[in-house]
Amino acid sequence: EDEDLSDSEDSVYSGLEDSGSDSEDDEDEEEALDAAADDDEEEEKEEQAQRVEFTCQLTADWLRLFSVFSCRMSPDIRNTVGNIPMEWYRDFPHIGYDLDGKKIYKPIRNKDELDDFLDKMENPDYWRTVHDKQTGSDIILSDDQVELVNRLQRGQFGDVNFNEYQPSVEFFSKDVMIHPVTNRPADKRSFIPSLIEKEKVSKLVHAIKMGWIKPRRVEDDSRGRYYDLWSTEDSSILAKHKMHLPAPKIPLPGHQESYNPPPEYLFTDEERALWEQQDPSDRKLPFVPVRFSSLRQVPAFPRFIHERFERCLDLYLCPRQRKMRVNVNPEDLIPKLPKPKDLQPFPTTQSLVYQGHSGLVRSISVSPSGQWLASGSDDGSVRFWEVRSSRCMKTVQVGGAVKSVAWNPNPSVCLLAVALDSVVLLLSPSLADRQVVSASERLLSGQDEVEPAEGAGPVTWGEAEGEELNQGIRLRIQHPKAVHQVVWHTKGDYLASVMPDHSSHLQVFIHQVSRRRSQNPFRRNKGLVQCVSFHPVRPYFFVATQRSVRIYNLVKQEMTKKLQANSKWISSMAVHPGGDHVICGSYDCRLSWFDLDLSTKPYKMLRHHKKAVRGVAYHRVYPLFASASDDGSVIICHGTVYNDLLQNPLIVPVKVLRGHVITHDLGVLDVTFHPTQPWIFSSGADATIRLFT
Amino acid sequence: MSQLQARFFTEDKRYVVDDVPFSIPAGSEVEDLSNVINKLLLAKNASHSKVDFDFLVRGQFLRTSLSFHMETEGISTEEVVEIEYVERVTAPEPEECMMHDDWISSVDAGWSYDKTVAGHTDVVKDVAWVKRDGLTSLLLTASLDQTILMWEWNSERNKVKARHCCRGHTGSVDTVATDPTGSKFCSGSWDKMLKIWSAVPTDEADEVEEPADRPRKKQKTQQLGLTRTPLMTLSGHNEAVSSVLWCDSEEVCSASWDHTIRVWDVETGGMKTTLTGSKVFNCISYSPLCRRLASGSTDRHIRLYDPRTKDGSLVLLSLTSHTGWVTAVKWAPSHEHQLVSGSLDNLVKLWDTRSCKAPLYDLAAHEDKVFCVDWTESGLMLSGGADNKLYTYRYSACQTDAGA
Repeated sequence: EDEDLSDSEDSVYSGLEDSGSDSEDDEDEEEALDAAADDDEEEEKEEQAQRVEFTCQLTADWLRLFSVFSCRMSPDIRNTVGNIPMEWYRDFPHIGYDLDGKKIYKPIRNKDELDDFLDKMENPDYWRTVHDKQTGSDIILSDDQVELVNRLQRGQFGDVNFNEYQPSVEFFSKDVMIHPVTNRPADKRSFIPSLIEKEKVSKLVHAIKMGWIKPRRVEDDSRGRYYDLWSTEDSSILAKHKMHLPAPKIPLPGHQESYNPPPEYLFTDEERALWEQQDPSDRKLPFVPVRFSSLRQVPAFPRFIHERFERCLDLYLCPRQRKMRVNVNPEDLIPKLPKPKDLQPFPTTQSLVYQGHSGLVRSISVSPSGQWLASGSDDGSVRFWEVRSSRCMKTVQVGGAVKSVAWNPNPSVCLLAVALDSVVLLLSPSLADRQVVSASERLLSGQDEVEPAEGAGPVTWGEAEGEELNQGIRLRIQHPKAVHQVVWHTKGDYLASVMPDHSSHLQVFIHQVSRRRSQNPFRRNKGLVQCVSFHPVRPYFFVATQRSVRIYNLVKQEMTKKLQANSKWISSMAVHPGGDHVICGSYDCRLSWFDLDLSTKPYKMLRHHKKAVRGVAYHRVYPLFASASDDGSVIICHGTVYNDLLQNPLIVPVKVLRGHVITHDLGVLDVTFHPTQPWIFSSGADATIRLFT
Repeated sequence: MSQLQARFFTEDKRYVVDDVPFSIPAGSEVEDLSNVINKLLLAKNASHSKVDFDFLVRGQFLRTSLSFHMETEGISTEEVVEIEYVERVTAPEPEECMMHDDWISSVDAGWSYDKTVAGHTDVVKDVAWVKRDGLTSLLLTASLDQTILMWEWNSERNKVKARHCCRGHTGSVDTVATDPTGSKFCSGSWDKMLKIWSAVPTDEADEVEEPADRPRKKQKTQQLGLTRTPLMTLSGHNEAVSSVLWCDSEEVCSASWDHTIRVWDVETGGMKTTLTGSKVFNCISYSPLCRRLASGSTDRHIRLYDPRTKDGSLVLLSLTSHTGWVTAVKWAPSHEHQLVSGSLDNLVKLWDTRSCKAPLYDLAAHEDKVFCVDWTESGLMLSGGADNKLYTYRYSACQTDAGA
């Protein structure tokens, strides 16, 4: 209301002012904008200004600007009071002063509310009537002015013709001008130290010195927010989990990749053919080196994209895993065998040759004292040799090819068992002390009267007579079939003989010399018996058939073990003097060592021989064993047996002894060790016996 | 060619040259040096005839060029080399060959035995002289039939007569040795025993407790002589005794197959020292001149020991050239460095301990194994072997060279 009142007062004064102006009917002339504005305003402005809705939005500035603009052409009736609150003139009849200093009187306001309302209803220009507070008059805006107001309200430029999108000329541009923007010389202050700053600094320094201000503390980050969480952890554990493996780098290009490779890198025709044949993954080079005369002629690499792609795949898709592979030298896995040099003594060289036989020497045996050697040959003779001089001391013609000789191991008797045809002869060579000779004679001749009790058996005992007696033959044990082997028991009283026969159970006989009795221990035929042996200590009896070795307990009369030799045909067998180990030679070139405590399978198979193994032997004292073969060689092996059950025997081949001449495809037929020295005797098909020491 | 300063000296009065150093080529060999000495001698004595010399540098025979020898021996070539020269030992030549009916197992100073001559029931293994003066001599034969027979030999009528039959061994008697005084002898046998017997022939038989039912053939041998029993038995060997000898009248030394050489005191019957080897010993020989034991063993080496070392097995020197068992070895009776050896490789070798790399001479006369070698005091070498031949070699060891 207040405002309204003032408005009405204003309009009163402005009406007074308007009186001097022109007629107010011209509204639409554009040319006479100013004149029309001036003229019309005086009258209608007051009323209209109250009615136009946007009046309030028009600021006084706009109006003033507008009036300045319009006053330029016409007599100026503008108020000179300035931008002051108009209510200061509320109580005065005038509203301000014009340019000449005369009072501008408030127009006479005689309009009341009703007039105003009527004016609003009737005056068509009411909406464009604006009340000018400074003059207190109502101004009716022309069309141009309304248009201008509308434009401004829309945020457009007031001038219709102004092109806001005209091309601009940039003051700062990329172009370097030859003239500087300003040619003003540099200030003096730009090159002399600032006194103010110096003063400021000295103040700060003084303050720091006095301790008024403290320099900003640098924050210590060493044990701050960021630290290694796993630094205390063991690095080896950490390394275990470090599974990242960077992809291998692409090798640098070499001569092959060159556009002009040296000729040795170019493919020959075969190489090219090979390259084309190979699977791409197998190729050594993924491309063919090609030669160009100049770099300019090198075409694009056709597989470039492909290779890049594969490389990318390799970089981020290829699963890489750290392989924990133990690098083991295969030679380290072989157990360290001691050198043969450290395993001495063993026979190394041939020392003596015992010559005299005319047929192949099938069997040899050394006397328990080691002084005599007996040999049986196919020429029908048994010869006795002095070991140390190789002199043949005695020759006994037995009249048949001798298959086997065996010296009685008992040192208190001197007896030799000889197997030929179907007879086993017991010889007393009388190559010993008188008492030993007489003891053996007593053994043979004793218990005469017991004999006929069971003479009906398959074996008959007979005494030698006449010429045979003079030669030393004492007893003849007649067997039903051809005897192949005779073996003594360690005590020297029992004697086992072997008659290999497929069809009969009468293959093995055990004879007791002192009582002249023979018995067949086996009731059933378990296969072709190859050889037999007594256990050196316990009452066991080893029977080797073609593929297996059976061990019988003679006291309990039962089989205790059956050893499976993984060979086709066992030829020979020897029992370790300790009694816990057996070696078997076979016709398929193998030698198998059985550890009786370990298993029924061979502990070790030695395949050193080229041909059939004919004979095997253990040394009685030294840890040696030997095998003789048809390839003419004798192989000496070191075989230490430990008392400790946990330790397996140590088997080292130490020496190959050659010397025998292969005759009729037969090489060495029998081997035996000297009882006390590390010497070995071998008999061969070349009718000789050789001593290796 | 570099030169060496050498000074020659000899102990042989006949070939002494001036004691001044000579400059000789370093590469000169024995022939060159021998020529030098001969020229020097010729300059001194116009009537000198050429003699071959051997040269010793610091006790070792020169066999290669002088510079090489000194290099291997580590002798400085800066100083004056002292070279001793001796007249060269000429090669022994087989002089005589005596055929026997059987293998010769032993020879002792010019006599050998085989089974047929003697009258043992078995092979004779060893012989030894007891006494060789006058018309009748005494000799011993050890045999495989476990006895030792003492024979009396009348050289005039060339007849032998068995005086004593020494019984007691229970194995073949392999070796027998008479003591220096000729009053005792020692025998070693396969039964691991050593036995000392009296060597004085008597007319009384020792008391022998023989079993009554002894075989007939033993009684027959008994008739060959009066039975004698051992004075002493030395036991300690674990294997057969292969060789025995007397070091002096109180000490017996024996070698055995148990790889030991043992020295026994005859007075007390105890063992004094043991020398342990690694192989079977076949034979030993002792030289009183150089006090060394030479042993031949089955590993083809001849080894020299000092018997006075206590319980050691220090090998002083090893002579290696044989390719078979060394069955016999004998020191020269008059030369402290020389010994002869026989081996199963049919060779007899003459050695000088000053040249241990190679023997002086190989005597390849035998066609079969050599079993025995010996020297005679008259400078003959003897060897016998399995080819039934006994060879004698004339050997011209220069008398002045005999040391001692």
